[in-house]
Amino acid sequence: MIVFEDATVVAPDSGVTILESTTLTLREQHISVIGANGSGKSTLARLINGLVMPTEGTVTVDGKDTVKDGREVRRMVGFLFTDPSAQLIMPTAAEDVMLSLRRTVKGKDARMRAALEALDSLGLADRADVAVSALSGGQRQLLALAGVLAVAPSIIVADEPTTLLDLKWRGHVGALLRSLPVQLIEVTHDLDSAMRAERTIVVDSGKVAFDGAPGDAVQFYRDLIFGRPEQAQRA
Amino acid sequence: MNPTLGAYRPLRTPLHQAPAWFKVALLAAVSILMVFVQDMATGIAFAGASLALYLSTLPPWRPALRAILWTFLFATMAAGYQLWRGEWQLGVDIATDLLAVVFLALAVSSSTPMSEMLDLMSGMLRPLHKILPHETIGLMFSLLIRLIPEMARILGESRQAAMARGVERSPRAVLVPAATRTVGFAVDLGQALHARGIADEAVEDHSAEIAEEKQRSRRARRSELARKARRRRAR
Repeated sequence: MIVFEDATVVAPDSGVTILESTTLTLREQHISVIGANGSGKSTLARLINGLVMPTEGTVTVDGKDTVKDGREVRRMVGFLFTDPSAQLIMPTAAEDVMLSLRRTVKGKDARMRAALEALDSLGLADRADVAVSALSGGQRQLLALAGVLAVAPSIIVADEPTTLLDLKWRGHVGALLRSLPVQLIEVTHDLDSAMRAERTIVVDSGKVAFDGAPGDAVQFYRDLIFGRPEQAQRA
Repeated sequence: MNPTLGAYRPLRTPLHQAPAWFKVALLAAVSILMVFVQDMATGIAFAGASLALYLSTLPPWRPALRAILWTFLFATMAAGYQLWRGEWQLGVDIATDLLAVVFLALAVSSSTPMSEMLDLMSGMLRPLHKILPHETIGLMFSLLIRLIPEMARILGESRQAAMARGVERSPRAVLVPAATRTVGFAVDLGQALHARGIADEAVEDHSAEIAEEKQRSRRARRSELARKARRRRAR
């Protein structure tokens, strides 16, 4: 369970409030977060695994504070970025997954076997020895996911994971994420994907503007963007 | 972008099966030898042998040919300068030294996976673990290698963007966006390291090693004192 208690984020240099005081409890298996560019939804997502620290208030994951217990929180929360290139560290696919496994699996051979299994489960077994830079965008995102899943997190925060992908890979990665037996917090511009969640949060101008059923949330967001603020206000 | 950067391919040639420490030691020995031995025939023999070793790792022919031609070009340029100064023997010596070392380095990199190189590097730095977190240093080298194709990609895209705007002759129009994007990529990479918990692990590892070392020396001191006390009692 993820709990935001009056979590506020203020930019240290400019003093601009990026996320206003937010109080939320996230229990559902699949939650989507939607909002315009620069609205603060990525900040909200990054608060969950301590990539961004709240200036005021707290964020806890299963009772662990993201500031005080950052390491434990990051072991529980996997994070998937929009651009997988930045998430992949080692030169080849197998080596990158092995890097994630270096704490949990002892012995190089065992680690290699586990990495190959992880790659195989996502259909990347034949790409194991291929240089990361030679993989397609979709394959890179799958590889990033393999690296995240290798440490068996209980929560995955995905920040626009399909934005850079073509239609085929978008469907594939999206379906794969939804099928995982973990709590998924998905920041997205894909309203179809947002509709498949159990709960949707709309972030606007640094605050949670709507929190509820996906259908209502998407309608609220459309009204907000296409200039029907009175209706949006009522909703 | 060079998709085979690091150039390793999983094959079973004799050099692939040789341990990483042997190949790195050979490279170091040949490099030192080339500096001290200023004999043209030895230089030519080593350059030929290194090229043969490189080709024995069965590298993909196109990148290999490109690498060989570029190395010859640089060696010719280095020799040409000495030739122009009237020191042709020194020119040939410098060129063959360069060829021998670069071809051998190519042979090592195309037959050794990056993970093995990193393990070797971490092992070599282990004696310095009190002052240097050796696993972090290994990771730093890996990141450095990972950054090279990304920087080449960013530079290529910046050049294309400058061409599209008709300002391809302006170095500023290429270098400023390339530098900004490289810094952006480095920031993203840092965040990814943090999100994957790798930064935390590196700090933990180093602290745990230092604590273990302190405990070991404390135990050794205690048993030394106990031995002395026993000896005194016996007397």
